[in-house]
Amino acid sequence: MKKTKRVLALMLAASMSLGLAACGGGGDTTQSPTGGNNSTPSGGASGDTVELTLWTYPVGTFADNLDATIEAFNKVHPEISITYETIDYQNGDTKVTSAIQGGTTPDLIFEGPERLVGNWGRSGVMVDLSDLWAEDAASDIADGVKNASQLDGKYYMYPLSVTAHSMAINYEVFEAAGALQYIDEETRTWTTDNFVKALEAVKTAIDNGTVNVITPGIVYCGGQGGDQGTRALVNNLYSGYFTNEDGTAYTADSEQNVKALELLQTLVSEGKLDGNTAFVASDELQAFANQTCAMTFCWNYSNYVSYAEQTQFTPYVMAFPSDDGVPELEMGIYGLGIFDNGDQAKIDAAKEFIRFVCNDQTQATECIKQTGFFPVHENFGDVYAGTDEEETKAPFALMSTYTGRFYNLTPGWTEQRTNWWNMLQKIFGGTDVKTAVDEYVSASNANIK
Amino acid sequence: MAQNAVATASKKPKKEKRSQFSGMSKALVRRETISAYLFLLPSLIFFIGFVVLPMIMCLVYSFMDMGLGESGTFAGLSNYVRMFQDPTFIQGFWNTVLIVVVAVPTVTAFSLWVGSAIYQMKPFTRSFFRCIFYLPVVTGTVAVTVVWKWIFNVYYGVLNQVLGTNQNWLGDEKTAIWCIIMILFTTSIGQPIVLYVAALGNVDQSLVEAAQVDGATKLQVFWKIKWPQIMPTTLYILVITTINSFQCFALIQLLTSGGPNGSTNTIMYYIFDMVYRYNDFGYANAMGVILAIIIAIFSAIQFKFAKTDNG
Repeated sequence: MKKTKRVLALMLAASMSLGLAACGGGGDTTQSPTGGNNSTPSGGASGDTVELTLWTYPVGTFADNLDATIEAFNKVHPEISITYETIDYQNGDTKVTSAIQGGTTPDLIFEGPERLVGNWGRSGVMVDLSDLWAEDAASDIADGVKNASQLDGKYYMYPLSVTAHSMAINYEVFEAAGALQYIDEETRTWTTDNFVKALEAVKTAIDNGTVNVITPGIVYCGGQGGDQGTRALVNNLYSGYFTNEDGTAYTADSEQNVKALELLQTLVSEGKLDGNTAFVASDELQAFANQTCAMTFCWNYSNYVSYAEQTQFTPYVMAFPSDDGVPELEMGIYGLGIFDNGDQAKIDAAKEFIRFVCNDQTQATECIKQTGFFPVHENFGDVYAGTDEEETKAPFALMSTYTGRFYNLTPGWTEQRTNWWNMLQKIFGGTDVKTAVDEYVSASNANIK
Repeated sequence: MAQNAVATASKKPKKEKRSQFSGMSKALVRRETISAYLFLLPSLIFFIGFVVLPMIMCLVYSFMDMGLGESGTFAGLSNYVRMFQDPTFIQGFWNTVLIVVVAVPTVTAFSLWVGSAIYQMKPFTRSFFRCIFYLPVVTGTVAVTVVWKWIFNVYYGVLNQVLGTNQNWLGDEKTAIWCIIMILFTTSIGQPIVLYVAALGNVDQSLVEAAQVDGATKLQVFWKIKWPQIMPTTLYILVITTINSFQCFALIQLLTSGGPNGSTNTIMYYIFDMVYRYNDFGYANAMGVILAIIIAIFSAIQFKFAKTDNG
């Protein structure tokens, strides 16, 4: 009896662990997705009504305005009802992965090509949208965006808006530190040499007590999102590339990238930058907003809006510094994809919604403004012209002219992101740059199948 | 002879039970049996659906090579072999062991000390302390983590302000895991303290008084009278704290994401990483199986050392 009890107790202990692993890990204490909503004219399934579900990541205020978007859509298509839910970047991927495994994915999802194409498209769970791309409406979309929406000739995303990820400086701090002389205010660019001089000027101003920030800048490497900022910083410093041209290998070990990482390591060791292994991008953004640091490497219009109320200074948009003063910024594309749930009626209805949101000029203009970015349709022109936002949008529009090669669909992308953070952590922890970079490249290239 | 007497005595209740049932009509017995099963059914369905089935699925998947949206292919023992060649898993294993080895004894000892100190206090004071120590348990992990993150912040954190240091507590390989252990400690002591207060309150006072009359010291009273009586509670606390420490996940995800340099990576976090970042379900399940075995071994050791019949 005593033995039986012990065995039962051990089985219980084991089951607690096994159960958790099989269920996919304890997400019980992480933040839950924010509100869901239902905007349907008929209030549910009836007769010929097709019911769709839409999940959206928080891109600008796109999700906040979905009620109005769906209402406008229902005026044209009353036979399609749409329920939506906002998922966040912290737990969204977990939720989608669980849904894929459990067969409970939504019909539509709004995000970028890294997830829609590179991850879920590659896994074969998305619908090929080639027919949408073959329509006349798609003819004015730039080739760069078009290429980023497809994989091996199959299109898993239809884009709505595009932006360039940039950085920003605290204008007043730079002014007080005498560092404005190192930036080109007209083109919002700077050279690597001038970037270093600007850091020195801000550091001196901090040491003298002239400015009230703690560090000139924080290179965050705690993990999770915002990796595009650190990638762009490294790649631009000496005009290196993240992958080779045909996207078959990660090239952080190129001479230019190693030189860039060595420069960053030196700047960190001299206190001109802080390599913070405990900070994630949102921590760095918060530190920028509350004037702990004088620059952020993770800036775009969406973040500008998110931190607008907290920033008691001018967050001045800048391109990443480069040795030749010609930056190549990473493109951020946002659009819709359809999960293949095997129901053709739903797939057709979802395509109608995509056409309405992305191609109908009146509605698409509204939705583009909600994302805070810029149209992918060249024929739409400047959607902010004549609006109150025209002035604030101008520098972000300027950044869009600096977009470079889109390499985010390279196989093994998800795995390399984790490796990238580990590499930065090692470098800022004092490991030899070449050793850390070689480890990163070797581990990341091993995942390219 | 004496053994036979004990054996006969132990058989008696069974006989009585049988005779009890034999006195009932067959229809009544059947009805009662059906009722009993019906009452058990909801729990049984829940147990099978949410415990037994996932356990079996976990075991089956651990022998498969499975990616996102794939039904998987049989991979034999390759996931298990890979695990013992994977430096990240090995690092995670040792980090997990460190957390368990440090957190479990300290949580148990501290809870016992606090429990002993407050269980004889006036009801209001006792409740006050119980509330204080239980507060981190009922506060959401996310909220607790945000506060700790602020305390440990390198630039404006309270800890650096108080100590006059400039230490990146969560960003330094040497300190990050100790920060995790400390937070785990504060969030784990609430329940054991409440349990110890209750257990110590239930200790037979007549035995305590008798020992005191016989001249036993306070230490002797504790070790000879109280300790054996609170042993079942201690065993429960040890097992639960061990399991919680092995499964420490949310703190790590929210504070360090396993970094810096994998210094706070644990098996549990690595399982999560494998599922949701690498979509390697087979490998994740194999690690789940190994984690379960490790927990079972630790629990068995605790049962062995506790040497109790009440477990």
